[in-house]
Amino acid sequence: MTATADSTVRAGAPAGRGADTAAGLSPYRLGLRRLLRNKPALAFGALFLLIVVLCLCAPLYAKYVAHTGPNDNHVTETVTVGGVKHDVVSPTGQPIGPTWQGQFLLGADQNGRDIAVRLLYGGRNSLEVGFIATLLTMVLATIVGIVAGFFRGVVDGVLARVLDLIWAYPVVLLGIALGTSLALGGITIGPLDLQGNSLLVPAFIIGIVYIPYVAKPIRGQVLGLREQEFVDAARVGGAGPMRIMWSEILPNLSSTIIVFVPLMIANAILLEAALSYLGAGVQPPNPSWGTMIADGIRLIPSAMHLTFVPGAMLVLAVLGVNVFGDGVRDALDPRAKVRLEEHAEEASR
Amino acid sequence: MRVRMRGATAIAVALLIGAAGCGGGSSNNNSSTSGTSSGGGQAGGTATVLMGTAPDYLDPQLGYTTQSAEPDWIIYTPLLTYRHANGTSGGQLIPGLATALPTVSRDGLTYTLTLRRGLTFSDGRPVRGSDFAYTIMRAIRVNWGGKSFYTNYIAGAAAYDRGSASTISGITTDDATGRITIRLTQPYGGFANVLAFPSSGLVPSGTAMRNLSNTPPPGVGPYKYSSVSVNRGFTIVRNPAFARFAIPNIPTGHLDTIRVTIVSNTQSEAQQVLNNQADVFDAGDTLPPALLPQIESQASDRFGRVPIPSTYYFFLNVTKPPFNNAKARQAVNMAIDRQAMVRLASGFLKPTCWFLPEGIVGHPGNNVRCPYGSTPDLAAAKRLVQQSGTAGTAVTVWGEQRSPRREYVDYYTDLLNKLGFKAQERIIADTVYFPTIGNAKTDPQTGFADWIQDFPNPSDFYLLMDGRSIQPTNNQNFSKVNDPHIQAELNRLNPVPATQLNSVANDWSTLDQYTASRAYVAVYGTETMPKFFSNRINFGAAVFHPTYLNDWTTLQLK
Repeated sequence: MTATADSTVRAGAPAGRGADTAAGLSPYRLGLRRLLRNKPALAFGALFLLIVVLCLCAPLYAKYVAHTGPNDNHVTETVTVGGVKHDVVSPTGQPIGPTWQGQFLLGADQNGRDIAVRLLYGGRNSLEVGFIATLLTMVLATIVGIVAGFFRGVVDGVLARVLDLIWAYPVVLLGIALGTSLALGGITIGPLDLQGNSLLVPAFIIGIVYIPYVAKPIRGQVLGLREQEFVDAARVGGAGPMRIMWSEILPNLSSTIIVFVPLMIANAILLEAALSYLGAGVQPPNPSWGTMIADGIRLIPSAMHLTFVPGAMLVLAVLGVNVFGDGVRDALDPRAKVRLEEHAEEASR
Repeated sequence: MRVRMRGATAIAVALLIGAAGCGGGSSNNNSSTSGTSSGGGQAGGTATVLMGTAPDYLDPQLGYTTQSAEPDWIIYTPLLTYRHANGTSGGQLIPGLATALPTVSRDGLTYTLTLRRGLTFSDGRPVRGSDFAYTIMRAIRVNWGGKSFYTNYIAGAAAYDRGSASTISGITTDDATGRITIRLTQPYGGFANVLAFPSSGLVPSGTAMRNLSNTPPPGVGPYKYSSVSVNRGFTIVRNPAFARFAIPNIPTGHLDTIRVTIVSNTQSEAQQVLNNQADVFDAGDTLPPALLPQIESQASDRFGRVPIPSTYYFFLNVTKPPFNNAKARQAVNMAIDRQAMVRLASGFLKPTCWFLPEGIVGHPGNNVRCPYGSTPDLAAAKRLVQQSGTAGTAVTVWGEQRSPRREYVDYYTDLLNKLGFKAQERIIADTVYFPTIGNAKTDPQTGFADWIQDFPNPSDFYLLMDGRSIQPTNNQNFSKVNDPHIQAELNRLNPVPATQLNSVANDWSTLDQYTASRAYVAVYGTETMPKFFSNRINFGAAVFHPTYLNDWTTLQLK
């Protein structure tokens, strides 16, 4: 949200108008009320939540239903379907298709691994990377944005150039470059030692490359906030820079941060899939939706579902969190929607 | 050599440059195909060859994969070379740039050859005897992966390698007469084959002693490099000067231009050849199982399976835990399911536990029992790992990206974890795979490896078990085997002339059984390779060479 006179409330945030404001509800209650009225956003939010829950249940499914782990090979084994024994992988290397039963529900891949199990574990990995990356992005971008916007001058100049440097590289290319090199050697930051195949490596990469996309808008907002009267009042009251940033500026950024979170999760999941597809994200044999799509491509003519199913899960997850994110944005900052509609009208004219 | 001829393989997604037209017409009918049938095809034109992996190097003194050997063989003719023929006939040595096969002294230590007169490199420079000495020095200086074939046997080569000599004292040449004399430190029965390596293919004296893959040096051969686009492809064109030399049994080629494009996705690669958008499928690749039935039904007249003496295995570095423990290595050999590997290879693999493959003298035969059984015994293998005290050891498994090699490594990693190790994969780009795992700084514990014969002699395969072949870069002895018994046997068997190999077949067989019992590597199969062309190419006339695979000089448009 933009820093305007009516947004300088200590609570920070969501802007309210009209009848809602008159009702005397807190901004967050107003936001929640608007969100609850937005049925499509709620439906897609529920879809995303369902996917998350399913993926979290992956170990249970693997243990009690499929009776196999995500990386367990069953190349020369057989499975009984409808009373008939079938090779999991045929002598010519063709994996079994969907059995529509507990074992190999969605079929097997070329190594005889259960696709359904890998799909859920892959989702877990993709979501884990997405959430960690978003957390990293939001924390670092908020710190950088606030510090740069509040101090301005040399500090702002240096931080802005660093952000420009990251921004100058296309996200995917930067991700591939970092992913390829870190996947080989891992990364050590102080006491933190990440192996090349750790899920934290792609999370770290994605978290870093998206910082400018969040830090820049936050910085712009802080530049306006720091000139507001409540900040002057805090300064006169003897508050130092750290306290002002923490107690006065940060709360006023909360709705912006909240709006960014689901959008960044969606972007992070997509980038993770892209990097994994290209071999620079989640490292084999660990599954992720991106690696599963890549693995399935060579079998497309005979087993399209190997590519289609993880692709569909990816689309649904990203769509779910994106539409829900839009709903959150509309709820917390309705003017953003008005602005977007105005832009659309101008564009159509 | 590895298929990565050594094998090889690689990366880089490239756009296919469509096959240029059948152009060329019949403008040039002077191509000869000694030993092959022209089958009524036309001369000239352009064909597109696909490679699933970029060649490791396009420098003849560095390349050591099938993808680099295919062009190098016909661009850099050595003093000796092989007959351009299918099957065992292709293993027959013939004179290349030399006038005749070498004269070998009675003690087997001196090889004498004479260079043909009037030869020129593709850039017009005359070929001289001293270029041979320079070529060998260059292969050693740039650290070719098989340089121990030179340094182990040629007098003074080791000193040159160490830097204590400025030339190789064992090679003397006379530019005036073209006479070349090579003195060995010990007899080596396969040395004539060493002279036929593409790395022995002559380059001009003064060629830079560094990797020239981006601008390959001139050579003497039916073709020459025209352009190189790193990791995307390259083009070779006919070398018009070569036909003048009229070297018997070396075809001058039919096609005017051969465009090579790197397509790392084998599915796409096979589909393009099936749809006649490209002409030649990389024989070093495996046809994807999804397309195999379609290819066998729709393209049966332009598809074949050719068994090639090759060994596919996982190396087990004996200098590092856990595989410095014999029981850990034995457990891997005991647990590996070779039938599973066959399925992962879409049936293009024949299971075996022996390092020497079928078709190579000394192969123990399928009736000899494998030391650790032919069927997997996971429970016994787990017990061995427990007894060895190596359970829980972290293991990094190295592998290539391309299929089915990725699938081999996925299977193997899962197997190691089932055995009780903590295994994780490290999959890297195909083009850099072998140079990476062959670098002493990497010093990998275990991973994928393979070997296709450089020449039909067991000593070629035992380069990989020869302690003297361990080198800091481009190492091929990935398991770092340096076994006194193997060394002693190699010292005894290597000098046996190629013509008398059968007399020591049992000795080689015994050695191979010893090697298997020591479990230095986990061998799982020998490969059958696909010969697969578009319907533009005269399939019957094209030679599938036992060492250099698709012989491009015999490719001919219908």
